[in-house]
Amino acid sequence: MNPRVAQTVAAVVLVALIAFPFVAPTATYEHTVLLLAFLVAIQAISWNIISGFAGYVSLGHSVFLGIGAYTAGILSTRWNVHPLALAPLAGVVAVVVALLVGSVVLRAKGPAFVIITIAMLLLFQVLTINLPELTNGSDGITLELPAWGRDVGNIPFYFMFLGLMVVTFGFSAWIRRTKFGTGLVAIREDEGKAAAIGIPTTLYKNLAYAASAFFIGVAGAVYAYFLTFLNPLGAFNILTSVTIVLAALVGGRGTLWGPVVGAFIVSFASEAATVYGGGSQSRLLLFGLALVIIVLFLPDGLLPTLQRRLAKRREVEYTDHAGAMDHRPAEVGTREPIKPQPGPLLELRDVHKAFGGLKAVNGVDLAVPAGSITALIGPNGSGKTTLFNLITGTGGTHTGEIWFDGHRIDGLSPWLRAHHGLGRTFQVTRLFKSMTVLENVVAPLESFSPRVLASGAVAGHEADRARDLLSFVGLGRFENERAGALSYGQQKLVELAQVLMLEPRMVLLDEPAGGVNPGLVDRMAGIIRAANRQGVTFLVVEHNIPMVLDLCDPVFVLARGEVIASGPPGVIRHDPAVLDAYLGEVTA
Amino acid sequence: MRDKPARVRLTALVAAVAMLVAGCTGSNQGGGSGPIVIGTSLPLTGQFSQPGGEAKRGYEIWRDKVNGTGGLLGRQIDLRVTDDASNQDTIIADYTKLITQDRVDLLLGSFSSLLNYAASAVAERNQMLYVEPAGGAPNMFTRGFKMLFFTQPATAPHHADGITAWVKSLPEAQRPKTAAFITQDDPFTRPAIDSLQKQLEEAGLRTTYTTIYPANTTNFQPIAGAIAAGAPDLVAQGAQFEDGIGAVRALQQVGFSPKVLFQTNAPGNGNQYSDGVGKAATEGVFYSTSWSENAKTPLNDEFAQEYRKRFNAPPTEDAADAFAAGQVLQEAVTKVGRIDQVALADWLRGNEVQTILGRLRWAANGEPQGNFMLAQWQAGKVEVVAPKEAATTEKVVFPKPAWP
Amino acid sequence: MTQALQTIALGLLIGGVYALMAAGLTLVFGIMNIVNVAQGAFLVLIAMLTWKAWQLTGLDPILLALATTPLMFGLGWLLYRLVVVRVRGTTPAMSMLLTFGIALTIEGLLNLTAGNYFRSATPSYFAQSFHIGSIVLPKAQVYGCLAALLVLGLLYLVLNRTWTGRAIRATAQNPSGAALVGISASSVAALSFAIGTATAGTGGSILSVLYPFFPASHYEWIARLLGIIVLGGMGSLRGAWVGAIILGLAETITATYGSPRWATLVFYAVILLVLLVRPHGLFGTRLREDVAT
Repeated sequence: MNPRVAQTVAAVVLVALIAFPFVAPTATYEHTVLLLAFLVAIQAISWNIISGFAGYVSLGHSVFLGIGAYTAGILSTRWNVHPLALAPLAGVVAVVVALLVGSVVLRAKGPAFVIITIAMLLLFQVLTINLPELTNGSDGITLELPAWGRDVGNIPFYFMFLGLMVVTFGFSAWIRRTKFGTGLVAIREDEGKAAAIGIPTTLYKNLAYAASAFFIGVAGAVYAYFLTFLNPLGAFNILTSVTIVLAALVGGRGTLWGPVVGAFIVSFASEAATVYGGGSQSRLLLFGLALVIIVLFLPDGLLPTLQRRLAKRREVEYTDHAGAMDHRPAEVGTREPIKPQPGPLLELRDVHKAFGGLKAVNGVDLAVPAGSITALIGPNGSGKTTLFNLITGTGGTHTGEIWFDGHRIDGLSPWLRAHHGLGRTFQVTRLFKSMTVLENVVAPLESFSPRVLASGAVAGHEADRARDLLSFVGLGRFENERAGALSYGQQKLVELAQVLMLEPRMVLLDEPAGGVNPGLVDRMAGIIRAANRQGVTFLVVEHNIPMVLDLCDPVFVLARGEVIASGPPGVIRHDPAVLDAYLGEVTA
Repeated sequence: MRDKPARVRLTALVAAVAMLVAGCTGSNQGGGSGPIVIGTSLPLTGQFSQPGGEAKRGYEIWRDKVNGTGGLLGRQIDLRVTDDASNQDTIIADYTKLITQDRVDLLLGSFSSLLNYAASAVAERNQMLYVEPAGGAPNMFTRGFKMLFFTQPATAPHHADGITAWVKSLPEAQRPKTAAFITQDDPFTRPAIDSLQKQLEEAGLRTTYTTIYPANTTNFQPIAGAIAAGAPDLVAQGAQFEDGIGAVRALQQVGFSPKVLFQTNAPGNGNQYSDGVGKAATEGVFYSTSWSENAKTPLNDEFAQEYRKRFNAPPTEDAADAFAAGQVLQEAVTKVGRIDQVALADWLRGNEVQTILGRLRWAANGEPQGNFMLAQWQAGKVEVVAPKEAATTEKVVFPKPAWP
Repeated sequence: MTQALQTIALGLLIGGVYALMAAGLTLVFGIMNIVNVAQGAFLVLIAMLTWKAWQLTGLDPILLALATTPLMFGLGWLLYRLVVVRVRGTTPAMSMLLTFGIALTIEGLLNLTAGNYFRSATPSYFAQSFHIGSIVLPKAQVYGCLAALLVLGLLYLVLNRTWTGRAIRATAQNPSGAALVGISASSVAALSFAIGTATAGTGGSILSVLYPFFPASHYEWIARLLGIIVLGGMGSLRGAWVGAIILGLAETITATYGSPRWATLVFYAVILLVLLVRPHGLFGTRLREDVAT
């Protein structure tokens, strides 16, 4: 879609919304319907940060509205402060709760997070009922009445919520443009991969959860003043949470505009159902059915679906031979070792890993000399990929030691290993398919500092370097394509460019030639050599034996989780044990 | 059209503009010569559906009575009842809508303090008179509201006065020595039971057990077991409706029958209550009430007969309370002579109103200044046993017979 | 002492019923990694149907489980084939949103058709009890618990003694291995989803006698069941038994010696604590898939 048209339309709608109360100052009912829609939008936009961008669905997100409201309610009566003055503090309290809860649950993946979010909502409900000294229990809290006269109606609230909605939207749009934002999308698309390219996923998720709480907390304080009466069941209401989720899903989860559009659709539909469809009872049925239908038939939401329908189907050519063959020298950065050392860059000492009774890796000792292109070969199931996973930190617990560049790295998180200069590619490419090629290549973080969070996602020196690397692998002109639209071989090359962004000292390549057009295999080998000449050490798992013997030295042979042979390619070629292992595989 | 998402937003714009127009032209009402629109939102479903349904009956009998005798200020009454599903959030939305969208002329209150807390705040904010037939929690009246009036004789803490007086009237030897107090976590029943516990302890009774259970409690066996463990002479429960029935059943299950059983509201629900616990199990159950079918107040007979005729059941306290709330509103409007919310409130603060519950008058904060009666189920019927002037029988069932 | 024994007896009785209800939930999770949030709504739906049938015919509500259990089996099978199958392979969040939508739909339908009222089936033995020494065992609880144990026993036999059952267990432990030996993953999934909802059939009929219920009761029930299976370990049948007994006891003890107000909190607290301290529960596989080491 054309962003300029979208922006113009949004601006016109905004002006209309600002003008509305001046044109129709007595339409209190319409003001109220609209301001409640703004409130849903504020919550849906915020929810979208953790559940849309990062993909962690919260089913109890209205808990922050309740927390904000109760913060304002409790403190305004105790301190005798105006509730609106407490709005920022309410946001902070919501953030603190989010950080506390997040630090526990966001280490987790899968259904645990969803379960916790529901449990948390119900927990706060019970706590507010059961702690009457603090919350006044089921009697609820009555706040002071608005200071302005009755004739003004809800217009001040209308503008407060409208303003908050615009600010929240700006905040979300800004996040989406930063490296933090692309990091969150990377987590949603492939969390393991995100960690492997240096993104500190746990931190990112916690920050996203906190960011998604703040404006809801602030809105909660305003909402409390709007209602003038707070009670546990209303403040921590599961149906409010459903409304948020539904709004974001209807519009398009993970998109920028989806939650806003969805919030208006859902608010108006729900109001219409209440007025024309037999009261609040039918609303529940409507929401339930809508949720089922959306999940089944429109999981991406309205906006992305419409956009897809309208986008011209542009097929990308299978291989850009011209581009890929076009040799262009490029600078492949690597970092200087902290202190040059004679020993191996990577060393494994007696590493064991078992899955149940199966010994996948059984006492492996392995040393990769600095500056080498080392190969790791062996029949299927010999433990090569498992070993890669252990080295990069995604393989779970194991025994033995792994040393890299003079540091012991087993026990470090995957992203810290990446920050040490250890990169990898995957057997089956794991690009972030919804991002563009260029966004994929700039996604890696060679190191992390808080400054990184706010920096632009695709900007400056970094973008230039990414473009250089794309040219280096011969895919420069595809930078704005969606990564998923590329051919498999091209994706392999993009993944290589991506890992080189880390300025790695060492790259683990898992079958770089697997499934690649034979014409590209030589190109791949050439790129590896070129990068190696500029100081990158490689450890390659590959089944293309001619390529391995041509490219690599030394070669390690793995069978049944053990190193059965190692040495220069010339020796390995004639090692009977190696032949036996491969032949054994053939006859088996 | 190349850009559909933009069109979606265009539609939103059109909708916004349409609303601008609607805002300019729509919404008038109020004043004039059409019917007087009176809005209320009642818990017709959910936890408070029992009293809510009764309140609706009471309001409707009152409306038809007024409309049949020339209306209010010569205009017919149009009563709008919405269902808040016993949900505080919904009742806020309902009253907001009644006031801002429907632009009703007058409001009537809802049932249970829990819901009236929320609804009265909406009314106060919009400067609308709020006459409520229930909602006697003491904290209702500490908020400095000017538009709130409660149309029962007294607030929750005074629910305990009648039974305490009766206990004290017993000869020392017969008096209960021990008591257990349980109550729903509800703004009305909690202070009622708190006050009773305080008064009975001052009268020398020892408390064996006390607990507060959540509004949605369904499993009363642990509570009944704990009560039975202390074997108190008197059991008092702050019960709305379902919980009152649930507790009686659980006490039957554990086989413990106290000498005195007092419940705040549940037994006032007539047949619904006796059907729930079983007619035989009602024998001897005490409760306090704002109304008696046998009271000689004006219109009381007429109300009771009309109720029996329409619903083929004995009239209930909640319906009578609602009828009385209507009477209060009617009297104020008639005496002031116009619908001016603030003037109506001022008038009520300074005057007494005759209702089927008796004469009602209010303190400046809308709190009523009267007393409840003590009632008891006897032989499947409700009798008033105190105070003397209102009593329908001399007999008091004591001790309560064992469960059937 | 009597009160302590009494409390424990009541806790064990209700624990048995919880075990049955939770078994279905944990089975479905074990097979297809779907947390069926609609299990609570199924319970309430069946309780409502049982209550209606009891009103009309006067048949014993617990015996009506003979009809409601196959009914829920069929409904579960249909629901899987028509609806749930479409979200297999998507994220757990999407399948939870789907089942949550189903739960809301059921609640909405019950609200519109049966009304938002508390109901409870009260057969003749409702107010009666067995007396063992000084301990009182309400007949309804005893019958309910016995019915639950009977169905649990049947479930155990099916899972351990039949080929189908072994196929289900094999799939739960090792899906790809099961596929290798010729077990059709989709029929196993449909079957186990149907079995899972069938337990809600029995459970719902029992529920109609034990506790008053109304359409929105399902939140409370699903929270209980989630607490139980998180404690026991998601996907572990043994865990569901143990978790149910522990939480049945904990709830009753809290209500008796603490306050009924805090009894519901036991379940939420357990969910939070277990996921924090021991994410795989007592017997389960890791639910919290830690991304970092």
